[in-house]
Amino acid sequence: MESLQLSALDLRLGLMAAVLAVMAIAFHVLTGNFLTPENLYNMAQQTAVVGIVATTIALVIVARHIDLSVGSVMGFVGVLIAYLQYTAGWHWIAASGAGLLAALAVGMYQGGLTAYLGVPSFVVTLGGLMSFRGAAFLVANGKTQPVTDPVFVMLGGGLDGALGILGSWALAAALAALVAWRVVQARRAKARHGVPSRPLAVDGVFAIGLIVLLAAFTAAMCAYQLPGKTHGQGIPVPVVIWAAVVMVAAFIVRRTRFGRYVFAIGGNPEAALLVGIPVRRVTLQLFLLLAVMITIAAIVAVARLNAGTNSLGTGMELYVIAAAVIGGVSLSGGSGTVLGSVLGALIIQFLDSGLLLMDVGIGQRMVIIGQVLIVAVAFDVLYRRWSGERLA
Amino acid sequence: MNFRQPLLAAALLTGFAAQAQLVVGVSWSNFQEERWKTDEAAIKSELAKKGATYISADAGGSPEKQLSDVDGLIAKGAKALIVLAMDKDAIVPALAKAKQRNIPVIAYDRLIEQPGVYYITFDNKEVGRMQARGVFSVKPVGNYVMIKGSPTDPNADFLREGQQEVLEAAIKSGKIKIVGEEYTEGWKPDVAQKNMEQILTRNGNKVDAVVASNDGTAGGVVAALSSKGLSGIPVSGQDGDHAALNRVAMGTQTVSVWKDSRDLGREAADAAVDLAAGKAVPGTQKWSGGEKKVTMDAKLLKPVPITRANLDVVVKAGWITKEELCKGVDATKAPGACK
Repeated sequence: MESLQLSALDLRLGLMAAVLAVMAIAFHVLTGNFLTPENLYNMAQQTAVVGIVATTIALVIVARHIDLSVGSVMGFVGVLIAYLQYTAGWHWIAASGAGLLAALAVGMYQGGLTAYLGVPSFVVTLGGLMSFRGAAFLVANGKTQPVTDPVFVMLGGGLDGALGILGSWALAAALAALVAWRVVQARRAKARHGVPSRPLAVDGVFAIGLIVLLAAFTAAMCAYQLPGKTHGQGIPVPVVIWAAVVMVAAFIVRRTRFGRYVFAIGGNPEAALLVGIPVRRVTLQLFLLLAVMITIAAIVAVARLNAGTNSLGTGMELYVIAAAVIGGVSLSGGSGTVLGSVLGALIIQFLDSGLLLMDVGIGQRMVIIGQVLIVAVAFDVLYRRWSGERLA
Repeated sequence: MNFRQPLLAAALLTGFAAQAQLVVGVSWSNFQEERWKTDEAAIKSELAKKGATYISADAGGSPEKQLSDVDGLIAKGAKALIVLAMDKDAIVPALAKAKQRNIPVIAYDRLIEQPGVYYITFDNKEVGRMQARGVFSVKPVGNYVMIKGSPTDPNADFLREGQQEVLEAAIKSGKIKIVGEEYTEGWKPDVAQKNMEQILTRNGNKVDAVVASNDGTAGGVVAALSSKGLSGIPVSGQDGDHAALNRVAMGTQTVSVWKDSRDLGREAADAAVDLAAGKAVPGTQKWSGGEKKVTMDAKLLKPVPITRANLDVVVKAGWITKEELCKGVDATKAPGACK
């Protein structure tokens, strides 16, 4: 490990990717249709909503906070967006903008109470979990609000909500170029500062592996053709949105002062305050960032269902937090990655989809998923002990 | 305290005044759901028509609170009780007190399986039959998917039993094959959507009809179908949700079984007045279809299956406006009710 310059973090992400691969192969052997383009397309879409919120919940947990109200707020914002379109007749852009404002107001309220008044976020958002579910009901008096705008519906995937073959490959090529450029940049920067780089082979294998994975995914999405269509679907729009969210979140974590502050606060809040980090402001900003992500997730969820219902996002907080935790975010704060949340969300979705394909009943499914969460965290504790990282 | 006393006195006075006329107490489980407001309005107006007084309590979803609610209603002088039980078993202790005082109890919409309780509801098995019939009449042969309700709601299984009755013969003869069957946790549309997508994948999209147990799950199913370019295959539902009726008009849903809760409220109010006066309720039948097979007096109302052909029924009843029903419907393919 030392000679290859691999960190415990790299190893952990590698391990999770391996777990995913093993799961995929096992489910494919058991069901015969897990690794088909169609099912991969389904799962990519189904994971997007949870995945979008999980990226930022990971940061909230890193900063030693929690948000239990994400599902309810998403329901509230989603119904509001659908209501403004269907009943009030607004254009979808205006409706989505209003939804964003509502989400930001919620973030301001909950984040403000947490950051400036010092009310524990667990309590604030536990209240929010109930209140905003009620608000989701009140917006349209419990009535389902269908949405029909063809452009809006595309944001949730569906029949026409994919990039098509040309668009998908163009995006994949751009991303592949980005990966290659980033690896070269990182090596140059290390050389410039006299930090030893990893052996070229390791970086090369990593970059090529990622690009191959990207190409395989794109090929699968393009191979999926719906009956009555002349060409393949390509990458679904919700997945593109999710990928964009992940890149933005990763950029924030690695490249901005705000990102570094979040990790510093999570590592040791007192020390962070003493060295002059504006802990309160950063906490509030974190909740506002989460509000933005919740709005994006709400738009995708409503567009996907073609309707806003007051039950939208019920119980989602559990999936989102589980995705972050399985993805290696420490509940005691200070450590975690955005990419981990992606892998965590995928692991849960793989499990859920695979068990559904195997026709496992709902009771068994819930038992299994719950236990997998515990296994993941138990493994996490042992791994951290072994690698000497901060303990969960 | 001083402020309170005049109020208290006023409450007592009105209490005495109400003694002159019949007082009917209604214990609601939870007002969160929109539909109970419709029921309440119907009960209130029917009681007023019969010269009886309406008093009520809302348990806010708590079975414990409902116990004290019922005690409170009896203490306020209720001579008949209408109970929408939050928990069909936990409510039983409250009924002992009513029984001891000879106060008739009506189990409203949700079964309370106790001897002596009068049960009034829509026939849920019949709803299931109507859903299956609606789909079966359009698609008598092929691969069927059953999207069931919440695994914790006994009504979900009543519905499924009714659906089975209608399809049984065709399943035995091999005309119909059930290729997928899933419960929908919490009746949530997004769960139904995900389940439907997985069922479609499992069967290589070879699905010809979907029997969904309510309009919410039907919405999820229709979204799943349309994302695969399969919209238009028969789908059932129930509740007469506005969004679902709109889908029926557009042709993406086949049937929504409509239970006019105003009928239920009216019938319950009439029954309460009759029972309190010691009279028999017209149209009563003996019923023992519950878990414990207790024989009870009951009234099972017939729901109405709403299809493309009779959409005008819901418009005429004032349930939905024509404008809302026909929103986005293609004028050339519009059903009669939209013309």
